[in-house]
Amino acid sequence: MAKVPLLMPQLGESIAEATIVRFLKKTGETIEADVDLIEVETNKAVMEVTSPCSGVLSELHANEGESYPVGTVLGYIEVEDAEAIRLGLGGQPDEPEQKSSPKPKPAKKSLSQASVKATVTGLPVPAHAGGVSYLSPRMKARMAELGLHAADLAGVAGKGASGRVTIEDLERFLEDLERNHSTPASSMRVAVADAMRRSWTRPLATVVLPVRLDTTLDHRRKTAPHKAGLALYALRAIAIALAEHPAPAGRLIGDRIIHPRSIDIGFAVEAEEGVLVPVIRNADQFRLSELIDRYNRLVDLARERRLPAAETGGSIATVTNYGVFGLTLATPIPLPEQTLLLGIGSGTIAPHWDPSKKAFVPITEALFTLSFDHRVLDGGAAGRLLKRIAELLHAPETL
Amino acid sequence: MPVVSGQTPILQEQFIKAFRVMLLARLLEKKLASLYRSGLIRGGVFLGKGQEALSVSVGIHLNKSDIFAPLIRDQAGRLAFGDTVLDTLRTYLGSQLGSMRGRDGNIHRGRPREGYYAMISHLGAMIPAVSGALLARRMRGETGVVGATCVGDGATSTGAFHEGLNAAAVEKLPLVLVIANNQYAYSTPNSRQFACEDLLDKAIGYGVTGHRADGVDLADCLQVVGAAIHDAREGGGPQIVVAKLLRLVGHGEHDDAHYIGSDIKKSALGRDCLALAEARILDEQWASEKEIASWRKDINEEIEATTAKVRKEPTPDPTEEDWCAVSEARLVDNFLS
Amino acid sequence: MSGGITYLEAIRLAQAKVLADDARVFIYGQDVGSFGGAFKATEHLAKEFPGRVLDSPLSEDAMVGMAIGAAIEGMRPIVEMQFADFSTCGFNQIVNHAGTLFYRTGVSCPLVIRLPSGGTAGGGPFHSQSMEALYAHYPGLVVMTPGTVEDAYSMLIEAVAIDDPVIFCEHKLLYNHLKAEALPSEALPAGQAALARPGRDATVVTYGAMLHEALAAAETLSSDGYEIEVVDLRTIKPIDTDTVLGSVARTGRLLCVSEAWPWGSVCAEVIARVSSEGFGLLDAPPQRLNAKDTPVPYHPDLWSSHRPTAAAVEASLRELLRM
Repeated sequence: MAKVPLLMPQLGESIAEATIVRFLKKTGETIEADVDLIEVETNKAVMEVTSPCSGVLSELHANEGESYPVGTVLGYIEVEDAEAIRLGLGGQPDEPEQKSSPKPKPAKKSLSQASVKATVTGLPVPAHAGGVSYLSPRMKARMAELGLHAADLAGVAGKGASGRVTIEDLERFLEDLERNHSTPASSMRVAVADAMRRSWTRPLATVVLPVRLDTTLDHRRKTAPHKAGLALYALRAIAIALAEHPAPAGRLIGDRIIHPRSIDIGFAVEAEEGVLVPVIRNADQFRLSELIDRYNRLVDLARERRLPAAETGGSIATVTNYGVFGLTLATPIPLPEQTLLLGIGSGTIAPHWDPSKKAFVPITEALFTLSFDHRVLDGGAAGRLLKRIAELLHAPETL
Repeated sequence: MPVVSGQTPILQEQFIKAFRVMLLARLLEKKLASLYRSGLIRGGVFLGKGQEALSVSVGIHLNKSDIFAPLIRDQAGRLAFGDTVLDTLRTYLGSQLGSMRGRDGNIHRGRPREGYYAMISHLGAMIPAVSGALLARRMRGETGVVGATCVGDGATSTGAFHEGLNAAAVEKLPLVLVIANNQYAYSTPNSRQFACEDLLDKAIGYGVTGHRADGVDLADCLQVVGAAIHDAREGGGPQIVVAKLLRLVGHGEHDDAHYIGSDIKKSALGRDCLALAEARILDEQWASEKEIASWRKDINEEIEATTAKVRKEPTPDPTEEDWCAVSEARLVDNFLS
Repeated sequence: MSGGITYLEAIRLAQAKVLADDARVFIYGQDVGSFGGAFKATEHLAKEFPGRVLDSPLSEDAMVGMAIGAAIEGMRPIVEMQFADFSTCGFNQIVNHAGTLFYRTGVSCPLVIRLPSGGTAGGGPFHSQSMEALYAHYPGLVVMTPGTVEDAYSMLIEAVAIDDPVIFCEHKLLYNHLKAEALPSEALPAGQAALARPGRDATVVTYGAMLHEALAAAETLSSDGYEIEVVDLRTIKPIDTDTVLGSVARTGRLLCVSEAWPWGSVCAEVIARVSSEGFGLLDAPPQRLNAKDTPVPYHPDLWSSHRPTAAAVEASLRELLRM
């Protein structure tokens, strides 16, 4: 025997419930299909609930005079199996009618939501935290208000969705900073920071080559007292090399390579609180000896922070001699508008195997680095350029 | 324009045929009401009890190649025109296999490609649509086509009725507009609906031919509607048929029609056209009580079997639904969120 | 019926009150007289106020046109459309006549058109529509979408007092499903949104029946620790942009929910305003949830997927909270 529910029907648009006026059949009565069972009243009309099938009215759960919402099971009719199957009623497996409304699909599981918990402990920043990778308009607005950059928040582990840094994270971070002593950064510092942050948006790489400096240093000694600094030798060398093959000094803008108009080379001068970069214009067209006075004057102007605007900017590569700080190797960052940065490490005395003497002889060498924008050139091209610079330095009289 | 009434003698064969369709409509609607009151049909159920004689007369006189746009109380006319018990039940029960696929329900069904237009709820709206269909047929050189549509007294007050009928008259289209004046538009009586003495008067104003039928008398309905359709087919321009009768049920099955007074129910208008037709058959000895009982039995068996079948059919699955309201899928506006 | 005042009863009582308080008020519509309206929103009013609750013919264009003329002459007509869907037959009078009158002539047009709006199971394509955005598109009309029993009452009373044409979108699903203990003695004015639920993590802006889907979703999410703020617009023309922006400023996230179709919907308008005026308040792209871009389907299973439900609002909110 199948049990078929007797439902409070939807008796009109917007009807929520109906009141049972009276039962027209009693529990236990055998009933035909389509006969009136219950008289109900809506706010619109009085009408009858009819039997959905024939059978025995086995249960009635409702009371006269009470209201029941549409869809309430008011009772059950027990139906012979044959009748139930004929009508497709009462929980048959192939029963399409009882199909309930489809459950809402579970929301798509997002990978980014996976976890923001640290999987490696002991790191200053939890691993797998999204950090400041996405900044909402609200975050951007607040950061602009505070003069902050995404890099400033690099150390903040976000607690937001996908590990995002939220406004709350930001405010908490700033609050925490208040516990530290702070001083205003100089405008020079801020300018360098800006330039470096902008440059760092590019894929930068560095190649390294040991360069023997004995001939260069000999030449320098011979030309004393009117002698050039090592950086100027390097500057001339890169100027000549780029004049021969300017492609590595190009800049990639969109899908075009922008070639240099002239071989203007800058050089880094440490000044108070930062670094300035004076420029030697058309460095390929002047002999080394012709550039010494100009170079020295620019160094002085830079150190005095009196470098005229015309003497800076617009260069296509920069030379930096970090060797003066006793450093043997560094990977400095090119200026944002440049592709190349030639670095000079400090000279060291090293043993060199002399095949003619069949003995180690002391030589002076330094590591030269060429940092470059990997979008414009690859390691091979950078290596060839650096080797050409080394060759030119070995023949200083040509510079 | 003359106001005429059909005078040709009724044919026994046609009368019997019409009666059996009326009986089918009546019993099918009884089942629909029952399915609604046992909670198996959702939405509205609107029945044509008392209007079968007029309605069947429209469907029975139309050819397959004609156009028919029935309204809410035309179960009999629909069946006579070619609609089926199966598709009726499928549409009411929301079967995915029905012509409306669960997207629309109850009386809002049709198969426009078969000349069987699917009404919208806005009354009078089908009049210009059928007229346009007739215009198209004429432009394509098709002759002998008739387009019929049915309205009630309420729809005569709409702008669409006026504009549609006027336009059809201007174009002299073979339109047959059947007005079942069942005395009430939902609860609103004729007295609050129009002020002309007789809706048939409207024929004069629009410049179309008017016919009056006795809505409870099947023979008269068959004759008058048949004549109107014949005249339209023969090039007589738009025809309107006005029949007075009484809706013997509520506006829908949610409505107990308490506003219909007992006086009118007891009047000549309140007689049941089906009972009168049955009496006529017995009176004329066109069929015996036993025969009629066997028709009734056959019909009920068909209805029961079809209901059982449809109740087991799949209903539309929202996850399978294409949710596409334009026929050219490339033009679907893809709302990303 | 069990206790409490229904949304429908509130509408009836509001009309009874304005009929009693203001001799200029009359009600015009199909079956509104002794029958009391298709939904019983005017039950007994014809008897209580003889000659002031009139059955109209089945003529929407005439219903609105008559109301316009009466309004010009100083009356305060309330027109009841039997269903919002049928107001398209009076569309011309509403948008081209009522909506333009004041701008053209300097004479205001104080009428109220009540639209029984929104879907119910089995209602189908022609008895389910939400037309508020369509009317809000036209200048010169005020559009109200009460979502509570209290608002249904107080906003309808205010609608009658307003000197401009008011499209009053009352939701059919709420008629008998929504109940309140008592009618309000005071209310927010038209054009002001209400904070239906305070929150912190995301804002849902909605109105009408969707208010309750949104509140249900917010309740579900609260068990996961999310605090969802729900703003009930109440009036969708004019939209209370300040309240919306204020809420988004607190939460940084916006989901707009409407039962209407998505193209040019209230959601589109709210999101446009928040994006242009409050972009810097947003922590995530603003989202919307509308009905699907098809006619409202008849079958209850299709219908419940076509319209936003609490489950759909919840899913959209979870997605938004992850962004």
